[in-house]
Amino acid sequence: MKPHAEMVHWLFAAGILFIGMCLLCEAIVGRAVWQMRPWRKYLWPGVAFAMGVLLWPVMAFFTNSAIHMYAHGSWAEVLMLAGGAELGLVHGRLKSPYWRLTWPLAFVVTGTAFIVHEQNPWFFARSAFLHHLLGWTFIVAAIFPLALVWRPRSTALRACFALTICVVSVQLFSDRDVAPIFGHLSPLAGEPHR
Amino acid sequence: MRRLAVIAVLALAFPGVAFAHATLESTTPHFGRELRIAPKTIELHFDQYVKLLSPSAIKVLNDKGVDFALSSRTQGTNVIAGVRALPRGAYTVRWQAISADSHVVSGVWTFGVRVPAPSVNDAYGAGGPTRTEDVVRWIWFLGIALTIGALGLRLLVLRGLEVPRALDRRIAVAAGLGCIVALQAGIAAFSLRAEDALQLPFGRFLYGDLSPMAATRFGLAYVTMTLVFALVLALVYLGWLLDRVDLLVPAFLLAVVFAGGLSYSGHDAVDPGSSWKTEIADWVHLSAASLWIGGLATMAILVWTGAPQLRRDAFVRFSRLAPVLIGLVLAAGTYMAIVRLPHVRDLWATGYGRVLLVKVALVSLALVWGAFHHFVVRPALERADTGRLTTIGRSLIGESMVGVVVLLVAAVLVDSKPPPRPASAPSSAAVGVTH
Repeated sequence: MKPHAEMVHWLFAAGILFIGMCLLCEAIVGRAVWQMRPWRKYLWPGVAFAMGVLLWPVMAFFTNSAIHMYAHGSWAEVLMLAGGAELGLVHGRLKSPYWRLTWPLAFVVTGTAFIVHEQNPWFFARSAFLHHLLGWTFIVAAIFPLALVWRPRSTALRACFALTICVVSVQLFSDRDVAPIFGHLSPLAGEPHR
Repeated sequence: MRRLAVIAVLALAFPGVAFAHATLESTTPHFGRELRIAPKTIELHFDQYVKLLSPSAIKVLNDKGVDFALSSRTQGTNVIAGVRALPRGAYTVRWQAISADSHVVSGVWTFGVRVPAPSVNDAYGAGGPTRTEDVVRWIWFLGIALTIGALGLRLLVLRGLEVPRALDRRIAVAAGLGCIVALQAGIAAFSLRAEDALQLPFGRFLYGDLSPMAATRFGLAYVTMTLVFALVLALVYLGWLLDRVDLLVPAFLLAVVFAGGLSYSGHDAVDPGSSWKTEIADWVHLSAASLWIGGLATMAILVWTGAPQLRRDAFVRFSRLAPVLIGLVLAAGTYMAIVRLPHVRDLWATGYGRVLLVKVALVSLALVWGAFHHFVVRPALERADTGRLTTIGRSLIGESMVGVVVLLVAAVLVDSKPPPRPASAPSSAAVGVTH
């Protein structure tokens, strides 16, 4: 019944890539052009909010360790919060641009959860390497959504924000594997078996 | 072009298959089984290779803590331990292994030899509910009551009135806050139960396998309620965002129905003497109490401060609804007390009975307070004595605070052990607790 963990990672990676591509399009053509069709302004915030909701089943069903449950739960909450805040802003219900601080908050919480839930060093195995990389990518790249709160029209910042999300997606696609190539960086990681 | 886009998205979502991470996939015997023949071995099947910390990686403990397991070994992706002859009784299996990523993973489950397996909550070494669990359950109750009460107030009491948008939004915020509290408290309650069953220090608990706990009635209730309250939160949020009160209807119904998860896993579902009738009575008790206490608190705080023009109508309408809710609370509560406490003396002779007495006393106080509102204040308001409206707000807050304390005592009661019933045929529900 329960899908394999990597299938779930790929589904969310696909969703994140979709958000990243939308943001990139918006950065390239400009917000005015992107929002010429009213539904488009709800597109990526809506997907982000829905992904936050969909992370709750991941938290509830994948109980093979407590720390993964907490990590998935924290991601569900910050993604719902950031997606919800963005929806509120584009709809006009929320007025203060400081609601966009929820994005750097989401990045920092997500990155911290990645790093804390991975207790092995960087070069232990592919998943360990990518968990560290994902964690630090989120934490360092939180500067882009943070700067966007004060400089929302900066194309460069919006492009960096979009590309960060695309990069995160690629990292997530590559995360769950012990394949023969680049699968075991340390003999301590156990015998290659797939 | 659109077709290409769809294919691209699907291809990204389902690339070639690969696997990772040490996860316990199955066990022999299975979690919570009652076996007619004692097993000769215990087997754990993982999704990948694991290493053992010591030859005693698997322990098979009886209710005295005697270990019947022989030394453990790995065989492929399995860990196997022989077992000495097991006499009739309940057994707890505790295991630990090193995952390929070097994390020490641990777990616990139970089985019975010619007796029903105990719940994993009652595994050997588990200490039972603590004061922390009482507090967490109380917070869980408060979150549920705030969600159901706020939504119920808007949909049942304020229905058809001209509700200012600002009040609508504040009610949605209150309901959303209730959902968030219920979600956090649910996670904390599940973690505390699992920590007690696993009996691991916090650092090791983080890598403990919670699957057997998730397979218990409490675990199923936790999973279901988590999913449903996340959905309720999303609906409430969308209702707030789009000013759509109709979105609150499914949110309210889902919250009321699935608050029953606590009834599904409580005393009235699993203890001897339980039946579907006690389970439903518990659900009615919880739902009606949540609507009463949560609705009263929301009205006292939000309507009184946010919409003075609605105070009178809201109060009169709530006073009509409250007797129905109180009737349901009392009828269901009395029925459950009779089932749980077969003798009147159990009320003062057992710890469970004494907590129940405290609860009854507090409910009586709330009832007297409510009766004052119903029989004195409401007729005065119907005679257009609006002077009382300004003073009654604090009184409503006082009554709802008594309700909040009632929920605290209810939380202690849920975590207390009812007195044993006189010997009778075992209930089917009692066997069901093991899963």
